[in-house]
Amino acid sequence: MQAPGIGRRWLAKHSVNASDQRSALLLLSPMMAVLFAVAVFPILYSLWISLFDIKLTRPRSTPFVGLGNYAQAFADPLFWTSVERTLIFTVMSVSAIMVIATLMALLLNQEFRGRRLLSTVLLIPWAIPYVVDGLMWKWIYDSGYGALNGALYQLHFIDKYVVWLGDTAKTLPLIANAFVWKEVPLATILLLVTLKSVPADLYGAARVDGANLWGRFVHVTLPSLRPGFMLVIIYEAMMAVRHFDLFFILTEGGPANASHVLAWHIYVETFRNLSFGSGAAVAYLLALATFAMSYVVIRTVGNRI
Amino acid sequence: MSYALLAKRIGLFMASLLFLAYVLAPVLWLVSSSLQREANITSVPPHWIPHPLTLSSYRAIFTAGDPSASTDDNASFVPSTAQYLLPALRNSLIVAFAVVVLNLIVSVPAAYAMAKIRYIGRDLSVYFMLATRVIPDIALVVPFFLFIRKLGLLDNLGALIITYLAITVPFSVFMLLNYFESLPDELDKAARVDGCSRLQTLLRVFLPLALPSLVAVILFTFLASWNEFLFALMFTQTPASQTIPIIVASFTSDFTTSFSFINAAGVLAIVPPVIIAVLFERYIVSGLTAGAVKG
Repeated sequence: MQAPGIGRRWLAKHSVNASDQRSALLLLSPMMAVLFAVAVFPILYSLWISLFDIKLTRPRSTPFVGLGNYAQAFADPLFWTSVERTLIFTVMSVSAIMVIATLMALLLNQEFRGRRLLSTVLLIPWAIPYVVDGLMWKWIYDSGYGALNGALYQLHFIDKYVVWLGDTAKTLPLIANAFVWKEVPLATILLLVTLKSVPADLYGAARVDGANLWGRFVHVTLPSLRPGFMLVIIYEAMMAVRHFDLFFILTEGGPANASHVLAWHIYVETFRNLSFGSGAAVAYLLALATFAMSYVVIRTVGNRI
Repeated sequence: MSYALLAKRIGLFMASLLFLAYVLAPVLWLVSSSLQREANITSVPPHWIPHPLTLSSYRAIFTAGDPSASTDDNASFVPSTAQYLLPALRNSLIVAFAVVVLNLIVSVPAAYAMAKIRYIGRDLSVYFMLATRVIPDIALVVPFFLFIRKLGLLDNLGALIITYLAITVPFSVFMLLNYFESLPDELDKAARVDGCSRLQTLLRVFLPLALPSLVAVILFTFLASWNEFLFALMFTQTPASQTIPIIVASFTSDFTTSFSFINAAGVLAIVPPVIIAVLFERYIVSGLTAGAVKG
């Protein structure tokens, strides 16, 4: 009989009505149940798995190894290759997305006939599956019959067909291009919203102050795009760091590990070497890195709710 | 001034052309090369415009399971797995519809509670939902795989439907939360004064008003499920449960398959998403901006 009294006093202190509290918890419970089942529990279980040496080829013996899987990952040169490849891919992709999306957003921010058509067409890359994005660019890059070779040949930029994806120096930029093409629409939309929120008086004031087109761009447009830039950089970096699909379709980590990124490394550890413990360990490191990045998002963006 | 105006017009026109070329050229080439004979797209340089135009790759997809269907010169490059494309379309549709329905059931009440009810732990529940949104899918693959194997759900559409909730529910709640917050609190109070329960208030007052954001949630969850690849790759094994991205991906790793056939399969897989994108452009853009910028 004591507990409800305490509970009621606690609710009163927060000026919360008891029946509101009850109905809120009731309405939240399906989501909570689902998120615990498909997010919280698996991610904790994953941490647990990463402390054992679990090999599907050896189902009876799963010794506890503590942080052994993590130590093993750090000692594996291929892991460091994958970290380096992932960072290069991420930096290349995010910078390209920023430049292209900014240009596109500036264009869509103008008033002209055909603007609606452009913004509708822009959603097509965003909507299609990564698998088709991958097969489309694989076909374009094809060394024997690809459109890239065909077009460059017809324009006399090359005099014989080039092996594109098979060249270790070109692999990552080409995969990044396929990634950028699909991510640019979302980034453009986000930047466009930010642009639209710039008060028109700011431009007026800048004009009165004698700023020309370039001056207005540098002193008004770019600074006011800052929140949009932040959001796009963080979101796209998170997407690039974890990306898997294109690497599977286009190169399978090759050639000579040139596209052996973290997500691919986890896949190989887990489903080719069937070493679930060490796969889970690397996946956990990736999750922690993503959490660290997203902590920034929640701190800077989330507290506006 | 008129010179400046003309220059601006020309500049915008050129920029629009570049924009269209960047966005559309790869897709147009995919479509074009799916409508040609293999010999014409593998010539050096390739035929850019389909001439003569042929539907033989599409015909191969739709008659793949039928041994009596007539074969033409392209058919020899069509893999026997082509017959799994149509079942895969069906699997993808089932999974996507189920994920959409479950998302609505789970997300709508939660978003309403977070937006309109004063309760202890509100901030905590919002942060919790935001935190689950950033878990990388690849970090969930190993635990999911072990669970699913233990439950005997490998190669079962149910496994996909459940795991897809992990990647769709946080985003759905987030978008709806932002939308509900933009609706006035007075609506809630008025309905409550009139004697509506919380559930009635939600169903009769807020749901009809939230229609645009519900449409956005439906579209996003449909597209996310339709396009998902990683989980489907790990948790499905046979055509009984394989979705369209898995079957399409299986063609790309086979060097004997004809390019025009692969491209036709790719076009088939993008028809539903592209139709959705073009028809519902406004809903999608407003949903994306509500779900990302305001958050």
